[in-house]
Formats: sequence, C-alpha cells, structure tokens
Amino acid sequence: MITELSKIRNIGISAHIDSGKTTLTERILFYTKRIHKISEVRGKDGVGATMDFMELEKERGITIQSAATYTTWDDHFVNIIDTPGHVDFTIEVERSLRVLDGAILVLCGVAGVQSQSLTVDRQMRRYKVPRLAFINKLDRSGANPRRVTEALREKLAHNAVMMQIPIGVEADHAGVIDLITMEAVGFDGEQGEIIVRGPIPTEFQDEANVARETMLDAVSMFSDELTEAILDGNVTEPLIHEAVRRGTLSRELTPVFMGSAYKNKGVQLLLDAVVRYLPNPTEVENTAVDLSADEAPIVLSSDPQKPLVCLAFKLEEGRYGQLTYTRVYQGALAKGGTIINARTRKKHKVGRLVRMHADSMEDIESAGSGDIVALFGIECASGDTFTDGTIDVAMSSMHVPAPVVSIAVKPKDNKASDNMGKAIGRFVREDPTFRAHVDRESNETILSGMGELHLDVYIERMKREYKVEVETGAPQVAYREALSQKAEFNYTHRKQTGGSGQYGKVAGYIEPLPEGDERAFEFVNEIRGGAIPTEYISAVEKGFASALEKGRLIGFPIIGVRVVINDGGAHAVDSSEMAFVAAARGAFRSCYGASKPIILEPVMKLAVEGPAEFQGAALKTIMQRRGTVIGTTEESGFCRVEAEVPLAEMFGYATDLRSQTQGKAEFTMEFARYLPCPSETTKELLEKYADRRKIEDE
Amino acid sequence: MGGSMVRRFLNARSPLRLLEQGLHGGLGRGHLGLVLAGRGVGKSSFVVDVALDELLHGKPVLHVALDHTVQHVRAHYDTVFEELAATTHLENASAVRVELDRLRRIRAYPASAFDAKRLGEALELEREVGTQPELVVVDGLDVENHAREDLEQWAAVARQANVEIWITGNAPGERIDALPAALQPLEDLFSVILKLEPGPEAVALRALKDHGNPDVSALHVALDPKTLLLVRN
Repeated sequence: MITELSKIRNIGISAHIDSGKTTLTERILFYTKRIHKISEVRGKDGVGATMDFMELEKERGITIQSAATYTTWDDHFVNIIDTPGHVDFTIEVERSLRVLDGAILVLCGVAGVQSQSLTVDRQMRRYKVPRLAFINKLDRSGANPRRVTEALREKLAHNAVMMQIPIGVEADHAGVIDLITMEAVGFDGEQGEIIVRGPIPTEFQDEANVARETMLDAVSMFSDELTEAILDGNVTEPLIHEAVRRGTLSRELTPVFMGSAYKNKGVQLLLDAVVRYLPNPTEVENTAVDLSADEAPIVLSSDPQKPLVCLAFKLEEGRYGQLTYTRVYQGALAKGGTIINARTRKKHKVGRLVRMHADSMEDIESAGSGDIVALFGIECASGDTFTDGTIDVAMSSMHVPAPVVSIAVKPKDNKASDNMGKAIGRFVREDPTFRAHVDRESNETILSGMGELHLDVYIERMKREYKVEVETGAPQVAYREALSQKAEFNYTHRKQTGGSGQYGKVAGYIEPLPEGDERAFEFVNEIRGGAIPTEYISAVEKGFASALEKGRLIGFPIIGVRVVINDGGAHAVDSSEMAFVAAARGAFRSCYGASKPIILEPVMKLAVEGPAEFQGAALKTIMQRRGTVIGTTEESGFCRVEAEVPLAEMFGYATDLRSQTQGKAEFTMEFARYLPCPSETTKELLEKYADRRKIEDE
Repeated sequence: MGGSMVRRFLNARSPLRLLEQGLHGGLGRGHLGLVLAGRGVGKSSFVVDVALDELLHGKPVLHVALDHTVQHVRAHYDTVFEELAATTHLENASAVRVELDRLRRIRAYPASAFDAKRLGEALELEREVGTQPELVVVDGLDVENHAREDLEQWAAVARQANVEIWITGNAPGERIDALPAALQPLEDLFSVILKLEPGPEAVALRALKDHGNPDVSALHVALDPKTLLLVRN
C-alpha cells in the first residue's frame, strides 16, 4: 500500500527525561486507537507504557531505545519515532532525527527548558527539523507555561508563540483556550476522550484577547494575506493555519501547545497541530551522496517511480530474527523485491515487510517514499543505505563521534563467554558509538563508548537479555598522543636471512597538522623521479598508518600527524610491499621521540543545572576536577553552569554532584575536544604506562 | 602565557595602552567607568578588548552579560581573539585561548534581575571558588533608567571588592558632544566616562570625564570598527 504522500507525517517526540514524553506517546496511541488501554510509565500493573518495551526501560521508567510506531489521525498517517532522552545515547537521538520530518519538543511545565532540552534542540537544528512545542504537566504544582515559553525564546532562541493558554494550572488545570477558534476546550470522559468546545469563561476573556493578539502579531510575519486580513478585520481560521504552517516549516516559528498528558488534557489538539503544521515528506529536502561521482550530493525525490533509496536507521533483535527499521526516501520498497546494500554490495530479498507498532506489527505489501517500515532478516548495520541497484548512492554519512571512554570486561564463567560475544556483536551493529575489541597484550575484551552510563547500560543489557554476568575493570579514558614539532627521518629497512632479503628505504619528515585540522593522519608523497617505485607508495602509507595506532608514550593512538616522504630507495630483488611497510614503521619509530610527542586528553562539555543556591557547590565540584568554568546563567532562582572538564576527572561525578547539592542539581555531558594534558597528569600517565610495561615484561 | 604575544598585542592593538596614557593612568581599582555609544557602534567589543587586555596580563575577569547568552559572549571573545592572534602571528593560539578561558568568567542574567546585590553575590561566589577578579565588565545595563540608589551601591561594591568596573551605556545618537541629559544626574558616580563615535574608517574613542582632570582632550584614539582594537598602521 502506497500512501498519498501529503498525508504522511514522520515525527519524533523529543525531550528531557521526566518531561512526560512516554506518557504523552502513550496518550497519542490511545487517542489514535492504536492501544486500548492506558498504562502509566511507572504503572502498578507492571505493564509499562507501550513505547517502553524493553525490560530495562520499564524498570527505569525511561525510553532508551528508539522504536517506530505507526498510527492514524484525522485521515493522516503518522509514524512516531520515540527518541531517547539521555545525552549518553545521543547517537540514537541523532539517528532518529535523521529520519524525521518534524518533531514535538516536550517541555516540563515546571522545570521548563532543561540542559537536555538544549542538547536535543541543537541536534534538531543540525538536522533542520521543524518543531512544535508541547508544554506538559500543567497539573503540577509550580507549572507556568508562560515562563516556559519565555525560556524557549531566551534559552533556545526559538520564536515561540503560544497557540493556546491554559484554563487554570496546577490542581485547577481544566483545559485550554484555543487562540485560533477562541473557544474553551475541555476534555471529558474517563480518559479525556470527549472534546468539549465552548465559550471562553468570562474571567479568561481579557487574557485570551491579549494572547490572541500577540499570537496574530507573530504569525502574520509569515503571511501577507493574514496581515491584510488583520487590518481589514476579517481574519479566518484557514489564514492563520496557513501562516503558522509556513512559519513552522521555515523553522522560524515554534507554535506552543500545552496541557497535561497524565491528566488527559490537550493531547488531541496537539495531534491536530502535528497534522496541520508539520511537514509531509515532500516538503523536506533529503540529500544522498552519489558514490559513482566522488560522493557529490544529490537531492532525492519522493517520486515512487524513481529508483529506490532507503536507509536502515535502526536494528533490533526481535523474537523472529533481526528487524531493520527503514525509512524510504525515494522510490518504493516491495515485498518480494530485491535490494542492494550500498556499503557491502550484497543483494537481499525483501521477504517480509511490516509496519511497527511498539512491540506488535502489521504485514504490508509495499512502502513508498516517506514511509517508515521494518524489514525482516536483512543482514546489515545501522546507517546502511539500500537501493534497487540501478543507482549507486548512499544517504550522507551521519556524524559519528569517536568513543571517549573504555572499560575492560571479563565473563564470570565460560558459558557466559559465548553469549557475551553474541551480545557485543549485536550492540556494535546497533550503535556505531559503541565499540569492542580484544586488547592484543592483555587479551581482555575492551568496550568503548560515549560515557560511563552508556557502557553501564550495555553491561546491564548483557545481563538481562543474554544472561551474561561480567566483571568490569575501572573505566579508562581514551587518551591520544600527538606531535609537538617537526622531525625528520631517513630510515633503511634491510634484512638478509637466506633466500630473498628485505630492503626498503624512506626519507622525509613528520609534523603536526595545523590546529583545527581534525584528521588523524595525512600522507603526502613528494617523491619525484621514482626513488621509491610507485607500486610501493601505498605500502609506505600503510606502514605509517599502522605505526600511528599505538604511540610509544602511553600506548594510545597518535592523531594529527602529517607524514611527508621526499626520498627513499628500493632494491630490484629484495624490495617488497612488506619491506616498505616495515621501513615506514621503522622510520616513524626512529623520529617519533624527536617530534617531542605530547599526551592529549578528552575534555567534556559539562552543563550543571539546579536551584541557584547550589551554584557555589556546583562550581566547586568543577574546580576540584581541573574544570574551566565557561559561564553561569542565573534566572528565576535557577542557575546553569557551563564548563569544560577533563573526562578523566568525571568518573563518579553523578554521585558527587548529588551529595553536594542534595540531589537538586543535574548535569549533562558530551565530548568537546582533545586538549594537551597538564604536565603533572602527563607524568602520572607515563609512570603508569612504564609500570604496566615492566609487569608485562616480567 | 606567551610573554612576547602579550607585549606585541599590548603595544600593537590594545586600546588600553593609549587609553591609559590619554587618561593619566586609566580607571583604577575601586572605580566605576562608563562607556557610551549609539547602538551597534561597538560598546560590547570595546569592553571585550578591555577584558582581553587584563586576561592577557594573566588576571581574572568577570564579564556580566545582561540579556545575552554565555555562548554569545564567548563567541565574541573568540572572534576578537582570533583577529588578534592572526594579526600578531601567534603560534600557540589554542594554548593561550585555553589559558584565557580559565581566567574569564561569564555570568549571564536577565537585565531586569541584575542589581548591586547580585553583583556583590557574584564577586563573593567567585572569591569562594578561588578566583579574584580585579576587573568586572557589565554589558547591557540600561544605565539611564537604572535607579541611582542602586548604582551608588555599585560604587560601594567596587570599593569594597577593590575591583575596576566598566559599564556600557546607550547614547541616543551617533554624535555625543556631552553627557546625555538623562545621565547627567549620575555623572558623579563614574570616575571615567568614555564615548565611542563611528567614523567613515574608524571608531573614535574620546573621554567625557577623567577622574578630576579638567583636560579630557588628551585622549584621541582611532579604533577598528569591527573589533574595536587599535587601527593598524
């Protein structure tokens, strides 16, 4: 079934943990009749909200994995991608954002714009996602939608405009006033399913008039017709809708809706807004890279007749095998058809095609561009592109940050060992920021990821889903080594052990790449006249690249290196690729010391938020950790401290911050950049490495 | 911090050198200074330059931003610093920037919520965590509509904490011949009052008040309209 494109909405619901995102999703599914019973996030019935289908998520009451679910509203088809809320899982958030056309930004009516909202908002900007805001929890004590709207304007620089005002807040929260129709809207029935529209209560009339005027003022910026209609006094609802839609699509306007998902208020009006104001797939420009034309960007078209391009954005190991969540960007995907993985060039047959609804599914025959569906039994990795083979394109590569922390794990018994391998294999395919390798020297399995919590979650999932108990070492920081000055090399690799020998000579220099150049390695061949035959140049490059994998200071990879070769020599009989790989490695070893290498450490961007009275305590936790305070923002009794802190100092921070601030402050953290280690830390690391080498040698 | 870099900058580009000469010694700790200009002339850049001068001397600075975000202010510093690093051919720019970041504190408030009490609290808090700023710049205050009693307290805070405080203020037009009428009742609170006037090629910096000095004409500085650094000769 290929749906009319203008009727499709692919949306995400993105928010801070505890803003009520899962509850909101649950209500949406209830009102759109995809589920027939509402269960609370932390419900006593032990069922948990439908979107929170993983056991771990149920227990914690948060959604870690994004799942896609399909529903209908007002004759439209809405695919909802539930996105995780914690910054440690940003790759999941970012991957979801890639496939969305629009999003609902859920904000807590009490806490407002929290640190996580800032991160998520930045990500949405990066992927150019138009959004609506929903201010939730208006039934809570201290709820104030005006303040939250103001915070959206000030902290997130959104042109946020209230499309509704509340009829009472806190315990008096009874509904909302729709500023377009100028009606009071109530939500009757046991679960708010009956919408009752009526005249605005007298006591809210003045407030509503003022709010409508403000709204019209802001919205009319996007429509000359509306401006004229305002002047002529004949404003119509369609004119307003059209202007709001234009503003939203241009991402210059964020319409604000409100209510309380928990108390069943405001959700249906939000759904109306999703259908009215968020874009359909044809209104969003999606680009891919042309693999046959040096990765030149090409714009995809939603035309179902064009060659197929779809993206596998999420994998899940289900009861019936691997499920691959896919967004179709161009062409159509049909059951029984053949698709080709642009990365591996492997052909796959589309055996079964389904639409997903949290943890149940519905078989379909075909899916058109704009659709989000799941495939069965297709071997691939997250982020892979599939085509029908008539074009050679890939969806542009997603920004995947390098892991900054690692931990050694050891299965507690032999039986666990097999399962651990299986678990890791699956996690690695699902999450490109999660990596694993076996350390050649210690023979330990090392897991790497974006933070302590990120790794903790996978270790817990191993236990729950694969019954693997592991012992873990202390978390290790991903240090790097770098050159601090230019050093020359002129190295000959010669070996004669009977038979044909080995000979390779390379000369040139290594130097640091200019500041701001984020590449790990640049190789420049300046040899003129064939001192090294062309066929061995790539072996020389390979040799240098492999030498950078492990520095000699503390055994971490070396980054930011330019290698220039300008001379060398070869032997007609004894030279070989192997000899030049060895020569390059030897050359690097010979001059690395002369380049005065330094150690770099990952520095994290940290944001701590909490009541202003804990500002001093929060600042101290940062100062104690070699942190640099960038700035502090104080507002309405809350403060936000932004800082940069070395990751090495951040282990156990959650516990410390909690105890210093009576649990009232919270933080988010993400990788910022690599900076040179101070001399004291460098000394410690060098000593530790020397000790380890000594033990290993003994 | 790179000593030669500091010298080169201070000699080559910092408006502070000429300012101090022209002003018989500068503002001085314990005093309030006011810099006036029309909108968009570059008051913010000017106080960023003043702050950078102090930071490059290795001294901590508190930058109070009213109605601006921390990121906005930080980006402003980075822009001026990059210009500076480029024109002085600084080699270890990122290391110097890391050092400046450590010495600089940005505090953002809604303008309506900032007063002498907050300023005092902020300085106290910085002292508690071990930074002792000697210079405070406050950018974005609506000086002419700010209560005189509160500004009197600012002067007291400057004296007590022994800090130099530069405040930016809006002037109604581009040409400023004398202190605008709305600010005249506040004149006695400021030890130094400067004005910035845009010109075709450079922004002119002149003094309207220099402590008790009757002759304020000694100060005549041309500044780059983009960065408000000294125009390069």
